[in-house]
Amino acid sequence: MPTVAAAVKWVDRRPEVDPLTGAVTTDARTSGMSEADRAAVEWALRLGERWSWETLVVTAGPPIAESVLRDSLAAGVDRAVRVDCRADLPSPRVAAALAPALSAVDVVVCGDWSLDRGSGSVPAFLAADLGAAQALGVVAIEPAGPAIVDAERRLDGGRRERLRVTAPAVISVEGASARLRRASLSGVRAAQRAPLTTMAGPENGDHGGGALRRGPLRPRPKVLPPPDPSLPPRDRILALTGSLVERTPPQRWALEPSQAAERIIDQLRAWGVGAQ
Amino acid sequence: MSPQTFDAVVVGAGPAGSAAALEIARAGRSVALIERGPFPGAKNMFGGVVYGRILDTLVPGWWEQAPVQRWVTRRATMVMTPTQALTIDYRTDSWSRPPYNGATVYRADFDPWLAGLAQDAGAELICSTTVTGLIREASGRVRGVRTDRPDGEITAQVVLACDGVNSFLAKEAGLYPHADPGHFTLGVKEVLALPREEIDTRFGLSGLEGADFEIMGCTGDIPGGGFLYTNLDTLSVGVVLRLTGLTKSGRRPEEVIAGMKSHPVIAPLVAGAELKEYSGHLIPEGGYDAMPQLSGDGILVAGDAAALTLAAGIWLEGVNFAIGSGAAAGATAADALAKGDTGPAALSAYRRRLEGNFVLADHRKLRRAPDFILSERVQHRYPAMVCGLVEDLYTVTNPQPKPGGLRAARRQMRKAGVTLWDLARDGWTAWRTFG
Amino acid sequence: MSALSQVGFEDRMATVEFRVAPDAHIVVDGDQCRGCTTRECVTACPAHLFVPTADGGILFNYEECFECGTCYMVCNRAGAISWRYPEGGCGVVFRRG
Ligand SMILES: Cc1cc2nc3c(=O)[nH]c(=O)nc-3n(C[C@H](O)[C@H](O)[C@H](O)COP(=O)(O)OP(=O)(O)OC[C@H]3O[C@@H](n4cnc5c(N)ncnc54)[C@H](O)[C@@H]3O)c2cc1C
Ligand code: SF4
Ligand code: SF4
Repeated sequence: MPTVAAAVKWVDRRPEVDPLTGAVTTDARTSGMSEADRAAVEWALRLGERWSWETLVVTAGPPIAESVLRDSLAAGVDRAVRVDCRADLPSPRVAAALAPALSAVDVVVCGDWSLDRGSGSVPAFLAADLGAAQALGVVAIEPAGPAIVDAERRLDGGRRERLRVTAPAVISVEGASARLRRASLSGVRAAQRAPLTTMAGPENGDHGGGALRRGPLRPRPKVLPPPDPSLPPRDRILALTGSLVERTPPQRWALEPSQAAERIIDQLRAWGVGAQ
Repeated sequence: MSPQTFDAVVVGAGPAGSAAALEIARAGRSVALIERGPFPGAKNMFGGVVYGRILDTLVPGWWEQAPVQRWVTRRATMVMTPTQALTIDYRTDSWSRPPYNGATVYRADFDPWLAGLAQDAGAELICSTTVTGLIREASGRVRGVRTDRPDGEITAQVVLACDGVNSFLAKEAGLYPHADPGHFTLGVKEVLALPREEIDTRFGLSGLEGADFEIMGCTGDIPGGGFLYTNLDTLSVGVVLRLTGLTKSGRRPEEVIAGMKSHPVIAPLVAGAELKEYSGHLIPEGGYDAMPQLSGDGILVAGDAAALTLAAGIWLEGVNFAIGSGAAAGATAADALAKGDTGPAALSAYRRRLEGNFVLADHRKLRRAPDFILSERVQHRYPAMVCGLVEDLYTVTNPQPKPGGLRAARRQMRKAGVTLWDLARDGWTAWRTFG
Repeated sequence: MSALSQVGFEDRMATVEFRVAPDAHIVVDGDQCRGCTTRECVTACPAHLFVPTADGGILFNYEECFECGTCYMVCNRAGAISWRYPEGGCGVVFRRG
C-alpha cells in the first residue's frame, strides 16, 4: 500500500530566553508539535483517508520526542518511527536523518518551519535527498487525482500560486492550513501503549554539513566611519542620515523564475554578498 | 463506540485525585485518572508550601524523591499597617532534616510527581481531557463520566470528583447546592526571580533552607492576607482576597500585590526581582460549615472540590488536606469495590474515615476561624492596635517617663476604635477557635 | 523601587502560556451587562479580561483566561456569564504555579 507520512519535530513551544546571556531554557512539559506540524499530521490523515493509503509519522530526535509520535497515533496515524538523534541538529542533518525513514514513502507532509530553528529548509533538503517534488509553505492541499495534489501557496501582495505536484513529493504546510482533529478517548489509550519503531540516526557529536552555533545570534555590527568632523553640522547630519545623496533607484524586473533567480544572484554578487 | 470501562474513574490529577488514584491502583483495581491540562499541574497554582506529614505513610521517604525547592526552616507571621509591621519570627534546625515540616514547591513539578506515583502503581493517566458531566442512571446513581473527546464516555463503579474548587461534578450530582461566593477567596501570585545567593542573603538562609511569611493587614480594606515564600531562585509573593470585599473595594488584584510589595518591610526583600509568572486561582475558605456532602450514590468528593482547604489566618493549607481526603476517598472506593457495593451507604464510610483523621478533625476544631479571621476587627483594627502598642513600648521618649503598658494599650485601643467589650468577646472567640 | 518590578499588564500576562482553544469557554451576554452598574467582573478578574466599552457594554476576550471561576462567582446577574472549562489541553498552562 502506498504511504503518506508526516515528518514532525519535538520542540519547546515556549522556551525561556535569558535576556542578558541569551541562554535558552527548554522544558519537556511545554514541548510538543508546533501548530504547523500538527497541521501536517492532519493533512497526512486527510490524504490517507482520501486515497486509502497507509499513514506514517516520523520524527528525528531523542527518546523524549516520542510524545509527538503518540499524539499523532492518538489522532489516527497508523505507524510511528523515531530516528534517534539529538534535538539540535542543523537542518541539512535533520533532513538526512529523516530521509532513510521516508525512502519508501510517496507523499511527505511537514510543517513549514520549526519553532526553534525556524529556517523552513528541512522540507527542501528532504525533497532533494529523496529526489521528490516539493511544494513549500502551502496553505491548502486539494487531492487532484491518485497521488496528485494541487497545493496552494501564498505569494507577495495577496496573490496565490497553485502547484500541481505528483508523488513522490514533499509538501510543507502553514500552521493555519488545518487544525489537527481531536483524538478519541480510545485512540489516546491505544496510543499510550502502541509500539514505536526506532531507527539509528547520525552519530552523536557529528555535525556534518552545518556548524552548530552555541549561544545567541549576535550579528556583527556594521562599522560606519563618522562623518568628517571638519564639516559643518548640517553636512554631517546629511552624511549620517544618508539623505540627499545620489543612489541607484529601485528597479523592477519581470522575468521567468529561472532568469529571476539568475538576476538576483548576479545582483547579490555585484553587491559583494556571499562568496565569489 | 462502546464506552471505556474501569473499576473507578478519578476526575482531576491534582493532589487529591492523584492520592485517590494511587490508593485504588495499589488495591489492584483499574482506575482512570482524567486531567484537563496537558500535564498534571498545568492548571494549578498555590502559595507555595506543602506540609509533608500526610505523605509519610502514603510515600515513605518521600523527601528523597519529591521535587522540592526549599525546606521551610523559618516561619514568620507578620501583622502590618501601611507604615508599621510586627513580626513573630520562628526558626528551627529540626525542620531542616528528615522528616522535615514543610517544603516550597512549584505545582507544575509537584503534581506530575504525585500523578507519576499513581501511574507507577498502575493508574491510567489521561491528560488533555476535560470531563464535561456525569453519566447517571434513572435512579440518579452515578455510573461514569462524559469527556470532551470523541467517543469519550467512561463508565465505572465509582466516580471520584477531585476536580478542584469549582466543583462542577459535585454540583451536578446535587451534593453542593449552595456554593456561596462569600465563602471563596481569590489568590493571585507573582513568581519573582532573584539570584539564589541574593535570596539566601536577604532571608538569612543557606543551602536548601527556606522561609515562609504569612502576612496580615496588607490587603487594605479587603479581608484577606498575604504570603511570601522562598523558592530556590525565585520568591512566591501573593495575596488572598475575599471575593465580596474585592469587588466592593474597586481595587484590582495586581494592585493589591503591588501595595504589599511596596510596604517598607517587604520592599527590600523583593527589590529588583524580575516577574517570571503571574497567576490566579480560587480558594474555598468556608470551612467546616460550608462543605458539600462528601459522598453520594456512586460518587465521592475530595480535596478543594469538597471545600477542604484550611485557610484561617496563619494557616493556608490545602494540599495536605487534598492528599489526606483523596487517599481516604481512594481507600473507601477500593473497599467498596472489593465488597461489590458502591452505593451511598457503603461510600458514606468515607466521611467516617475523615472524621477519624486530621482532615475533618482540624476543620471541625477551626470551624469558626474563617469568619473570625476575615472580620473587620481582626483584619484592620487589631493590626493597628497591636502595632501602635508595640511602637509606644519601643519608642524611647525620655526625658518623658515611659508610658505604662496598660495606659499605652488603652490609648491604642481608643485610636483603633476597639472597645474592651470587643476585646473580651474576640478573645473568647479566639480561645474557642484556636485554643 | 527598581524599574523592573513595575511591569505593565500586558507584560504581566505575557509571562504565562495560553494555548488558545478554538471556541470561547466563557461567553458574556452583553445585553445583561448594559444594565449592570456594579461591574464586579471588571474589578475582580485577575486577568483583566472584562473591559467596559463606551456604549455601556462589556468587551470580553476569553483567550488569556486563568480559568479560575472568579467572574461567574462575583457576577450578580444570573445568565450574564456562561462558563465552562475549555477543551482539554487548551487554555492556561502554568510552568511554575
Ligand atoms: C493562592 C493560593 C495559595 C495556596 N497556598 C497553599 C499553601 O501554601 N499550602 C497548601 O497546602 N495549600 C495551599 N493552597 C490550597 C491548595 O492549592 C489546594 O487546596 C489544593 O491544590 C487542592 O488540591 P485538589 O487536588 O483538591 O484540587 P486542584 O489542585 O485544584 O486539582 C484539581 C485538578 O482537577 C483538574 N480538573 C478540574 N476539572 C476538571 C474536569 N472537568 N476534567 C478534568 N480535569 C479537571 C484540574 O485541572 C486540576 O488539575 C493555596 C491555594 C491558592 C489558590
Ligand atoms: S458580567 Fe456580570 S458583573 Fe460583569 S458587567 Fe456583566 S452583569 Fe455586570
Ligand atoms: S475565569 Fe478568572 S481569569 Fe477567566 S475571565 Fe473569569 S475571572 Fe477572569
